[in-house]
Amino acid sequence: MRTVLAFRTILPTFTYHRPSSLAELLELKAKLGKDAAILAGGTDLLVDMKMGVKRPSHVIDIKGIKELHVLEYKEGSGLIIGPTATLRELETNSLLKEKYPVLWDAVRKIADVALRERATLAGNIANASPAADSAPALLVYDAKVELTSINGSRLVPLREFFTGVKKTVMKENEVITKIIVPEPPAGAKGEYFKAVRSAEDLALVGIAALVANPNNPAERVVRLAYASVAPTPVYVKEVEELFKKDEPLNKLIKEAVNIVLSKVSPISDVRATREYRLHLVKYVTAYLLRKLLGVK
Amino acid sequence: MAETITIRLKVNGIEREVAVKPNERLLDVLREKFYINSVKAGCLRGECGICTVIMNGKLVKSCLVLAPEADGAEILTVEGLSKPGKPSVVQRAFIEKFGFQCGFCTPAFVMAAHWVVENMPDAPEEEIKEILNSVICRCTGYKQIIEAIKYAIELKRQA
Repeated sequence: MRTVLAFRTILPTFTYHRPSSLAELLELKAKLGKDAAILAGGTDLLVDMKMGVKRPSHVIDIKGIKELHVLEYKEGSGLIIGPTATLRELETNSLLKEKYPVLWDAVRKIADVALRERATLAGNIANASPAADSAPALLVYDAKVELTSINGSRLVPLREFFTGVKKTVMKENEVITKIIVPEPPAGAKGEYFKAVRSAEDLALVGIAALVANPNNPAERVVRLAYASVAPTPVYVKEVEELFKKDEPLNKLIKEAVNIVLSKVSPISDVRATREYRLHLVKYVTAYLLRKLLGVK
Repeated sequence: MAETITIRLKVNGIEREVAVKPNERLLDVLREKFYINSVKAGCLRGECGICTVIMNGKLVKSCLVLAPEADGAEILTVEGLSKPGKPSVVQRAFIEKFGFQCGFCTPAFVMAAHWVVENMPDAPEEEIKEILNSVICRCTGYKQIIEAIKYAIELKRQA
């Protein structure tokens, strides 16, 4: 189905809510369900409303809820990111840069500074775009999403969160209350490669790579995740198992690339063809693995 | 829907109180209620940056802020940078370095430049360029704009 683009200059009408507590938010969401859109940064929601893709009767602004504005790290248990923490807050956090370099790298490559001042990490995840840059980074850290409704909370691994283009396991009465990023493997390094035409563009292909202990097969950790190559962000779990083998790294890298190519299914669209995306996946995956594993 | 919300905000140093509809944008309020026409409507989807203002000390695109979200906020536009006949250092630098051509995007770039000068005066050129990703200019090719910003930083240092 083709989306008809309605170039409206006035946003559709809605009732604006600004709860000041989580309890109030959960009650509203329980009552209004899918008629209510959650507004954090608004950088996706307001665009979708302008374009006529979304037309919620109620908009719930969650920025007035102090308990949701969290960004804290605890040695051992990891990083907790509340749903109103902005991308700019993450980008300018020196601890994030040091401890979670892949996530930091992905966040600073999203859109531009003025958008990152408003946009949130939880929003990037909730929007469930196949091109979400933060998703591959969170996938290689095995992040969990805390979903809360009036009936209580549940913790969903991000690897099970996305179900399709702009679709997730979230129920109508649920909101994201936390993103939990566990402590990374000791010594882990990595980066997020974003193939774009220009900086503000969506990723043609996005690749998150995390590597720890490259020279010790028993302790070695290699994780790869992708954006813009399938209906959802993709975590290729087989790669992690493969690199536990005590075999030459060059051979493992070749096998890893083949596994990845069998797990992705990119489409051709206005930004790139399927063939070009596959080409990027093949060569950039090998490039990142060689670089992070220290293979010539 | 007749529902209106009263919001209070400080625009260019002046306390204002105004009734808005929930679906109005900060951009609409600035232009249509306060007649601040330096803030322009371009793409209305956060891409062109022509509606850029400084809100609570942060560079934001006013087309992606709902009017009720701006309740309690402090907004700065080019109108608040200077007194008549007395341009700010950034404005002076844009004039002297020809940091504009048709002028349409200039208020947005002046705000971005002001933000850079105030918040990251030691930023290398690469970082200045990254900040400028937020706003699109279709005439100058950005070179003179970057030169103007570097010059403004210099002017401020001398002052």
